[in-house]
Amino acid sequence: MTYEEKLARFTAKIEDGGKVETEDWMPDDYRRGVLKFIEMHANSEIMGALPERECLPSAPSLRRKMSLAAKIQDEVGHAQLLYRVAEDLGKSREAMYADLINGRSKFHNVFHYPVHHWGDVALIGWLIDGAALVTQAALRESSYAPYTRVLKRICAEEQLHLRHGEDITLELASGTDHQRWMFQDALDRWWLAIIHFFGPRSNVEKDLLLRWKVKTRTNEDLRQEFLDRYVPKIFELGFTLPTPVPFHDKSSGHWLLNEEDIDWGPLDSIKKNEGPETERRLAWRKQMYDDHRWVREAMAEPAIHVA
Amino acid sequence: MFRRSGHKDPFEHAGAVIAPDPDMALMMAKECFVRRREGDHLWVVRRSDVHSFEDESILEIAADKSYRFASAYRDVIQKREKALARAREIEHQS
Repeated sequence: MTYEEKLARFTAKIEDGGKVETEDWMPDDYRRGVLKFIEMHANSEIMGALPERECLPSAPSLRRKMSLAAKIQDEVGHAQLLYRVAEDLGKSREAMYADLINGRSKFHNVFHYPVHHWGDVALIGWLIDGAALVTQAALRESSYAPYTRVLKRICAEEQLHLRHGEDITLELASGTDHQRWMFQDALDRWWLAIIHFFGPRSNVEKDLLLRWKVKTRTNEDLRQEFLDRYVPKIFELGFTLPTPVPFHDKSSGHWLLNEEDIDWGPLDSIKKNEGPETERRLAWRKQMYDDHRWVREAMAEPAIHVA
Repeated sequence: MFRRSGHKDPFEHAGAVIAPDPDMALMMAKECFVRRREGDHLWVVRRSDVHSFEDESILEIAADKSYRFASAYRDVIQKREKALARAREIEHQS
């Protein structure tokens, strides 16, 4: 079979809603695209653990500390599941770790920002995990089958993280003026980054991942689902949102944003790995990677039983 | 013998065969366990290569880790009511 014939067959399979397994033939740009996408997802899970790790000492009780630690453990686990899937597409785990700490690959924009206090934990847990869940739930329909299988567990755990985040948010929202300020302050700092999280409008013509159905929905479609689901809940709790302020469009029933209100500048810097915390967090990640080398080495050898 | 029944599912243990080598084991597994398109992929693993805990009670959760379960957050409705009441109270004050 010629390359063109294989490609035509592959395209027809994708059009028809068919799924791709690792051992199946796939065009190079499909393989490269899926690998880059899953690698970025894996990087984001591991880098996403860091802001929450920074917040652990400010947990208000032992139980809150333990539940946050459990969540961080889940996120690191997600990274491991995803690196496993990415690895099968032809890039070694070592190479992915190295590219991450050397700033050669990317991770999600929201993990390039600083955390200030416990209000950030509520916000990350409820709204950032909420945003991630909207995108990840859509990816469960992806054409790359091994990815959808790990997303099953990831989404189930993210669902729990969302409840955990909502629980902390509601505690702050029902609390003292200071507690309410903590959540409001976090909202004011994070809102634009959450809007950026979904990315700029998709270019349906040019986006290979959409064409190959690796991604199933456009960025603006996912952002809209997020806004419709969360904006009324935020307002209901008596909090306000900074620019871009969503407004309710009565005719469509949707919560909309004025697109010209969105400043994409900060996202452009982050894409170049020049976000406010990029350098520090990557250096921290590198330090952990180096400090834990002995563990990896010890685990690579079978146990020696001394009598 | 481990079988995957479709793109959505992981491999699951689905039976055992007696065979002198992996090729024969795969053939036997196909004939015995994939007669009606129950799977699109098979693995065979030698029984002696499967390891398990001697005492499975080690799988029990050692301490209170209820926060790992959704049931820990079951009272969200009451908590939301409380937060909404607080929001109304603040609106009233201003």
